[in-house]
Amino acid sequence: MIRYILRRLVLMVPVAFLVTIGVFVLVRISPGDPALTFAGEERDPAAIAAIREEMGLNQPVPVQYVVWLAHVAQGDLGRSFQTHQRVLEAVTERLPATLELGLAALFFSVTVALVVGILSAVKRNSIVDLLSTSITLAGVSFPSFFLGIVLILLFAYVIPGHIFPPGGYVPLAQDVGDNLRRLVLPAITLATASLAVNLRQVRSSLLDVFGLDYMRTARGKGLHERTVITRHALKNALIPVVTLIGIQVGAIIEGAFITEQIFFWPGIGRLAVQAIPSGDYPVVQGVVLVSAFSYMFTTLVVDVLYAWFDPRISYGTASA
Amino acid sequence: MIVGGAMVVAWLLIALLAPVVAPYDPIKVTVGDALRSPSLAHLLGTDDLGRDVLSRVIWGSRISLSVGLISVGIGFFVGVSVGLAAGYLGGKFDLFVMRGVDALLAFPALVLAIAITAALGPQIQNAMIAIGIVAIPAYARLTRGQTLAIRSRDFILAARTVGCTPLRIVTRHVFPNITNALIVQATLSTAFAILAEAALSFLGLGPQPPDPSWGQDVAYSTRYLANMKWWMSVGPGLAIFSAVFAFNFLGDALRDALDPRLRRSG
Repeated sequence: MIRYILRRLVLMVPVAFLVTIGVFVLVRISPGDPALTFAGEERDPAAIAAIREEMGLNQPVPVQYVVWLAHVAQGDLGRSFQTHQRVLEAVTERLPATLELGLAALFFSVTVALVVGILSAVKRNSIVDLLSTSITLAGVSFPSFFLGIVLILLFAYVIPGHIFPPGGYVPLAQDVGDNLRRLVLPAITLATASLAVNLRQVRSSLLDVFGLDYMRTARGKGLHERTVITRHALKNALIPVVTLIGIQVGAIIEGAFITEQIFFWPGIGRLAVQAIPSGDYPVVQGVVLVSAFSYMFTTLVVDVLYAWFDPRISYGTASA
Repeated sequence: MIVGGAMVVAWLLIALLAPVVAPYDPIKVTVGDALRSPSLAHLLGTDDLGRDVLSRVIWGSRISLSVGLISVGIGFFVGVSVGLAAGYLGGKFDLFVMRGVDALLAFPALVLAIAITAALGPQIQNAMIAIGIVAIPAYARLTRGQTLAIRSRDFILAARTVGCTPLRIVTRHVFPNITNALIVQATLSTAFAILAEAALSFLGLGPQPPDPSWGQDVAYSTRYLANMKWWMSVGPGLAIFSAVFAFNFLGDALRDALDPRLRRSG
């Protein structure tokens, strides 16, 4: 097992390097002169030359990359062109909001998928099953931003009582009730696409397990149906779901870019999206880098968990 | 499959025949008709500049579908070429190229598309390139896997024995044997591409105003949500949903029909 983890970590190194090169190149090919953008209103050539010197833009590109990477390794993601705030600071300030939204969405998606998925597999071809299959089909095709808008229309404007506000964020420490009230719509919006995928997975892996011999044995020895499902079927059927949760972390990170924008949720996705029109590349670069590394890390954790859960996986030969 | 196929064909026809089927000019401003709710004259209502929402949805299909198809074309061509080469040649080339593919997979797909479009500049061509690049890994991995499975089969050995070049072997012998899986992937990734284009446009990174675009029109409509001008969002929103749904539905059906090994239970 330890060999497997080490192997995965070693394989991650070149990929992580390529990711940093990719993110660096993306910023370098961006239109506009970073020194001019950073200078803002300043137009004095000497001042701009000084900024260019300070930013290391006079150096050859490979040198710039190495210098940038050395800074990144020390947690220095540069400064925002617009606010001149440290990018890492801007990201960490907004990370709690994104994490709260992401965790709420993950919780919602996994819980609903488990409950509805189990019901629909156990009562196959029932109304619940039909409903769950429809959610699955529709959920993966429904654009999250449109769902967000429909939810805002319904719950903030159409339904009397304005059950949920149309957007905005109140820190958890400030007012728990208001924070949760504002969390509901964005969390549902963010969760729906992954809910659809989860639901399909829970249902189909349960159905796969139902046909296996040991299930017949469990029933044959007179176990209660509930015990058969919870003790025998679920334990095995949930293994693929663990992997899915990993994939969804990616879906949730990218969904946050959209969802945060609709609901004025001050997370890292909104930070990046708002930095794009003004050409504030260090911020975009920082958020993209943080997203990619969080995604890589979660994928690794999930792969390790998967190998741990499923003894059939051979650690030595498991593919990357 | 018939339902999905019919919906896809219907959207393709709407896009092709937009000048004929759209009742109004999608970018013509008629201030006197601003913010009209749906009626017989304007089936999906009008926006704040008096532009017919239905006409914008119809013209918008051209952008969404063309971005979808072209970006899938880019992803398909590059991904399949890389996958065939990596799978057939193996060795260091395979190791090196597939780490590049892994690096692309290390980014959440939409985040990468946003980053690329932001870097290249918000334009429709750049959105196509970005979504195309994001689509590469899925094709590369699929093609490589299938090529590896086929590489050691007898007919490939026979082709090699009679002196076929590697290029001829992969194009004439390997590729035709993996098309089924690729067709399924292409259909499903068109659905993703349409959704991704809509998301990029929603964030202002796709086609620029006044060109009609579904995602951008939904984003624009949000400023009138509090005034309950719901029709401005519903038309383009449902258009995205139905086009994505059509390709997803068709892809799922094709998967079941073409590749029995991938058939899901239930």
